[in-house]
Amino acid sequence: MGNGIIGKPIPRPSRDAKVQAYLPSVVAGIGVTVKHFFKNTKELAFGQRNDPVLEAFDDGVTTISYPEQKRPYPERFRGVHRLTLREDGNPRCVACLCCSTACPAQCIHIVAGEYADADKKGWEKYPVSFVIDELRCIFCGYCVEACPCDAIRMDTGQHAVPYDSRDQFIYERETLMSFSDPSGRQLTENPKDDPARGHTPDRLKH
Amino acid sequence: MVKFIAEYQVLIFALVKILIMLGFFLNLAPVLVFVERRQAALIQDRVGPNRAVVKVPGFLLKGALATPALLAGVAVAALCFKFFPANPPETGVGRGFWMAELATLVLWSHALVLAGYVRVSGDAANPLEAALRDMRDPRWIFYTGGFLHLALGVLYGASSPANEAEVSKAFALGGPAALAGVLLLVAAYLGYRIPSGTVELRAAGLLHSIADALKFAFKEDFVPPKADKLLHSLGPLISLFPALVTYAIIPFGDALCFGTTNGALDVTKLAETASTVGACAEGQQAVSLQIADLNIGVLYLFAMGGTGIIGAALAGWSSDNKWSLLGGLRAASQMVSYEVAMGLSLVGAFMVYGTPRLGEMVRWQAENTWGIFVQPLAFFLFFAAAIAEQKRTPFDAPEGESEIIAGYFVEYSSFKFAMFYTGEYIELVTSSALLVTIFLGGWTMPFLHRDAVHVAFGDTVLLHSQMSHLVATLLGVGIFFGKVLSMSFFQIFLRWTLPRFRYDQIMAFGWKFMLPAVIANIVLTGLLVLGASSAGPSVASGLRLAADATGFIVIGASAFLAVKFARLLLSPVERARFTSSGVAARVGRVGRTPETPMQA
Repeated sequence: MGNGIIGKPIPRPSRDAKVQAYLPSVVAGIGVTVKHFFKNTKELAFGQRNDPVLEAFDDGVTTISYPEQKRPYPERFRGVHRLTLREDGNPRCVACLCCSTACPAQCIHIVAGEYADADKKGWEKYPVSFVIDELRCIFCGYCVEACPCDAIRMDTGQHAVPYDSRDQFIYERETLMSFSDPSGRQLTENPKDDPARGHTPDRLKH
Repeated sequence: MVKFIAEYQVLIFALVKILIMLGFFLNLAPVLVFVERRQAALIQDRVGPNRAVVKVPGFLLKGALATPALLAGVAVAALCFKFFPANPPETGVGRGFWMAELATLVLWSHALVLAGYVRVSGDAANPLEAALRDMRDPRWIFYTGGFLHLALGVLYGASSPANEAEVSKAFALGGPAALAGVLLLVAAYLGYRIPSGTVELRAAGLLHSIADALKFAFKEDFVPPKADKLLHSLGPLISLFPALVTYAIIPFGDALCFGTTNGALDVTKLAETASTVGACAEGQQAVSLQIADLNIGVLYLFAMGGTGIIGAALAGWSSDNKWSLLGGLRAASQMVSYEVAMGLSLVGAFMVYGTPRLGEMVRWQAENTWGIFVQPLAFFLFFAAAIAEQKRTPFDAPEGESEIIAGYFVEYSSFKFAMFYTGEYIELVTSSALLVTIFLGGWTMPFLHRDAVHVAFGDTVLLHSQMSHLVATLLGVGIFFGKVLSMSFFQIFLRWTLPRFRYDQIMAFGWKFMLPAVIANIVLTGLLVLGASSAGPSVASGLRLAADATGFIVIGASAFLAVKFARLLLSPVERARFTSSGVAARVGRVGRTPETPMQA
């Protein structure tokens, strides 16, 4: 209790003749500004400026010119949702409503339907409509945790872009299916939970 | 048409001169705004304004950039081979030499720019660009250029009588041909290389100033409800007025000499060579490159500059705002205080030059030495007082953003604000022009005389090369505007370097330091001038040698700065990468922070 604030000691500027005479210090100060200006101008003009992420601690301009330049998000960043696809292009989602149940913001709305043709395993459901309201979403990632089929992921690496009107934030099924992960894959790396392969997920086996 | 010009030539000359000066000063105001922002950003390691963009069709850009080079190339070829051919070759050898040097300069500098471009962008359109991109060290382009310059000089200087005829012929014909060829090549390459589609033109942020000016024109002109409407509107007008009229007495070049027909000036008879004594030779008439050559000279400037105080004080008083009232009071007291020191600081210069006319001051400096060498103390005092008069840092207490918001113009919006703002920058240019005219030799450079480049120390002539009257005068005009630009640039550096004085410090500095110092300067100058004029011829010749030495000092300092600048431009960059964070590791895997097109 009561150690006080421990700060970095900064030496008082000396008040020797050179400092008190003002003009020598003015000349030195102009030298500093001129040097900075010409060095940075040269590096901007010649395209030699710092990489804002890799050389952020070096001298010189390290501004990130957003949105042309973006600091990449960490790999586990929860971005805009995507619906992963099966190899035949249908969504992996089986409309089990786990995600919409888990969702604390209640921003997912699913209308379930059944595949009509026998090839698609007539007993299997699919989302007729799958809507996420990105304005209500709090990006908690519970839907991804809840999904038994790895059908919904938040690994797009993008955040919702600002739009002009609210209805543009309502992402429909087709929109969600069009997104991919940063490497451009629309499938998922996790084949075992693919319902189309006839696997029963391990955790559902008794 | 010719008769019309002859009848109204005085008026036409005046109008042309006003247009030149107005064009320079008014255009420089937004350019300096841009420079100020750019400097602020780059000194603080920011990117600065670079977002304003104009989408220009490629063919327009091609035309705008390639046409001047094309016209210059055609003009060089036409002038040298059709209108002023070098017959016999001896007459054109000097001209040819300088043109060959210029062609070399254009060639290597453009090669360097091209190399820089392809090395940054990486896309080479042809084998030449690929070679430039893949060369190990582009500094060799610069070294090769320097070597070529030297080689040309040696070839020119070392031509012996035996081969002089061939050398003269080679220079007289080859020089103009090389320059015209290089310019046409540049034009053709620009036309070939600029993409045909839409080009996004950013001009390094210069467009922001233009956007701001447009914005000012369309903003609401708000007047505070209890403000004095008339005085509130008069404030910016009175403030801008002195800034716009003072450049009338600033000479921007040496007098142009014309021959006469029936005793009247004839514009078609431009003198071939200028006389070295006086303004013009017998039977010629001078057109001074100065809008008004007033006999009171620089006193007019103080008279006009003094009215600026009224503008600031009126604006502060009439706005019905405590901040602006404080700002107006500060502005009035500060400007009145420094007006005294500013006026007295030039008295020493009057004594040395023996005239208050600016044109004659520059002539004195051309014959002797720059004013800064005879009045060094006055230069610094006048400089400080001029900055205080413009209310710029470190004397910007009247604006003092951190204390009284914007001071006397806090209640101004729309174009009235723009008038204050423009006025400030035009005053900056005016004060730079005055400093250049009175202390830094105006349109002259050491060793650059009215008729020739003449490098000499005492009686030893080191180099002598004749110039025509027109070339010498145009060179002088270019030198003047170049000096004013550099001086304005330097004043903006001052703004980003120095912190603001406290108000009492400003007053104490003005009355307790500046005033005694300028009076001491007057006394000292008087004693020295008396002593020098009554001393013997040995002192006079010693002073002459010292004056020649100052010329070498100026040229030496300029060369030193130029070399230092070139070294800075060409220095390679080595940087340490910092990849300990996960994001940096990801970026490091890609190689660089990714660029994406703008969205939404």
